[in-house]
Amino acid sequence: MEKTLITYSFFILTVLIFFWGLWFRMSMYLLGSVEGAEDAGKWKTFTILWGRVWRSFWSKPLWYSKAIAIDVIFHKKLFGQSFYRWLAHTLIVWGIIVVVAVHIIKLLSTFCLAGLNREIPLFSFAHAFETGTFCHFLEFLISAFGIITLIGCLMSIVRRFFLRPDQLLTEEEDIISLFFILFLVISGFIAQGLLIAIPDVVSAHDYMGGFTENWVNYWMGATTGFLNKITLMETLQSRPEVFWYVHIIPGLIWFVYLPHSKLLHIFTSAATVVANKIKE
Amino acid sequence: MPIDISKLSSRHLLEIDACTRCGECLNSCPVYAEREDEGFNPRGKIQNLKKFIRGQYGLWARIFGPKKLNEEDIIALSEKIFRCTLCGACDIACPVLINPKDLSIAIRETMVEMGHYPKAAENVKKNLLSDHNISADDNEDRAEWVEDLVEIPEHGFQKDKAEVIYFVGCVSSFFPMVQKIPQNFVQIMVKGGVDFTILGEGEWCCGFPLIGAGMSRELEKLKVHNVDKIKEVGAKSVVFSCPSCYRTWKELYKTDVGLLHSSHLLEQLVKEKKIPLKELNLTVTYHDPCDLGRNSGVYEPPREVLKMIPGVKLVELENNREKTVCCGGGGNIEMVDPELSAGIAKKKINEIHNTGSDIIVTSCQQCVRTISTRARKQGIKLKVMDVTEIVMMAMK
Repeated sequence: MEKTLITYSFFILTVLIFFWGLWFRMSMYLLGSVEGAEDAGKWKTFTILWGRVWRSFWSKPLWYSKAIAIDVIFHKKLFGQSFYRWLAHTLIVWGIIVVVAVHIIKLLSTFCLAGLNREIPLFSFAHAFETGTFCHFLEFLISAFGIITLIGCLMSIVRRFFLRPDQLLTEEEDIISLFFILFLVISGFIAQGLLIAIPDVVSAHDYMGGFTENWVNYWMGATTGFLNKITLMETLQSRPEVFWYVHIIPGLIWFVYLPHSKLLHIFTSAATVVANKIKE
Repeated sequence: MPIDISKLSSRHLLEIDACTRCGECLNSCPVYAEREDEGFNPRGKIQNLKKFIRGQYGLWARIFGPKKLNEEDIIALSEKIFRCTLCGACDIACPVLINPKDLSIAIRETMVEMGHYPKAAENVKKNLLSDHNISADDNEDRAEWVEDLVEIPEHGFQKDKAEVIYFVGCVSSFFPMVQKIPQNFVQIMVKGGVDFTILGEGEWCCGFPLIGAGMSRELEKLKVHNVDKIKEVGAKSVVFSCPSCYRTWKELYKTDVGLLHSSHLLEQLVKEKKIPLKELNLTVTYHDPCDLGRNSGVYEPPREVLKMIPGVKLVELENNREKTVCCGGGGNIEMVDPELSAGIAKKKINEIHNTGSDIIVTSCQQCVRTISTRARKQGIKLKVMDVTEIVMMAMK
């Protein structure tokens, strides 16, 4: 439990640094001029801009919702320009969104609620998230969308390093961003596989994924079983939680890195689309 | 001197950050097609600027202090920023709806503030503010083109009061090659029974070249003067044969009067059968001027006019409507880099040639000038017409 507490403390710290990073980048945009907020400070300027977005949205909620659905969520323009690129991008985006969202649900349910229930028995329903059918469903989602992300990453790697269309420019930032995601997905699979292959870990509740039922991801266990034979699994068998940290620590670093990388476009591109629609 | 990002809007700064270097803008950029240098395309310009901004205001700059700006890099960026036709093709291509064209104008303004801009831009400002026209001609001669008409009314098309004001624009007023545009248009309006006037020396440049020069702050004086003139005449609408004047008025002038491009009025006159058109046995293609089509959204009225002329067969260019490729006459690049402008025009002429049509029709005096000049220099026989000219031809 102490290890868990330390990890979750780091998670909270990561989230705080992530939001600070977002604010840092946003405050840079607020150094620019905003009509009607010439003498306002950054926070005031932000509230003025947010007020405009809010009012614009509620003046035509259906129109904006449609625009966001088509241009931000579906990426209509990209779809028209290159189906391959659109598919790779969509797989990565939705893969990450679902995997992160499910991790957050698991965090809240298994630690915050189920964990708390052990001390104060008020949240017994959370037990279903920990070991019940719903837990299996969440595990399935993580695995399925992990594969989706993996396919998207591989498609991007093929395009960037093998197909190499003329318009593409590969810089350090692109390589870091792509391989960072790839590393997180692969390490996540191996961590899950180890969890299945080494049941002792589950019973010891040594790391966050320790609540998974074995049969859910048994096929991944087979993969890791194969790895057992060809890698230095003896070390991992004696200290299997090590691989969990190999997955979770870079995961937390990725969150901190996100606002300072090209991955920030997840937020900025959505904002440019909305800004463009407001201008229209 | 650091880059003062307060000259850029918050939206521009957001857009600079939102660019993921996908390169979709590359395929549509006429300057990049000509120069094939990363620094000349919208992505390269945005990335260079991003580098400067991060060096000054980014995380490392906050921790370790701003990076010293390299003067040579700033000059190189400025040279590239002023080599953009402002055609807006990149705006259409961007999958995340960034507006590199507006960004390019904003960066030009920042460069002007920093003192890094071409001498041609300074001349534009001087000409417009002292002579009130782009070519530093005597503004009293603005309506000199009227003298070449066979039938000139006593008022010389300059009346005290009228329903419509025809805002001729600098290029059509002073450049003999395209003076036939206002000459034809006034005759069509007379025939169509339009109650119109021109402003003569009372017309000042709309200020559009100042936008391209990164000096839009200087535009106010011209705007106030022109709007006052409209009020004096008491006109209900203003008609433009110049797409750039039309766009500038639409976007920047705060006026209640109706704003029309000549193609709108021609379409109306032809539809109402106010001008009789005889059959012309011609195959024509149509070039969408950037400021009329992509930047103002007017695609169909000129096409409708052409389709209504009996015997005229319209063949579309490979890249038409919002995908049209600039003729090379936009963004003041003719003044800054004539060779670049000519190169872009050459590609346009090749595209026109591929249609096999006899005539290229457009709705812009600058496009007529650029394409005609280049075709002549290349020794290519190509008839370039404004839409007013082909209508006039059908009226005779």
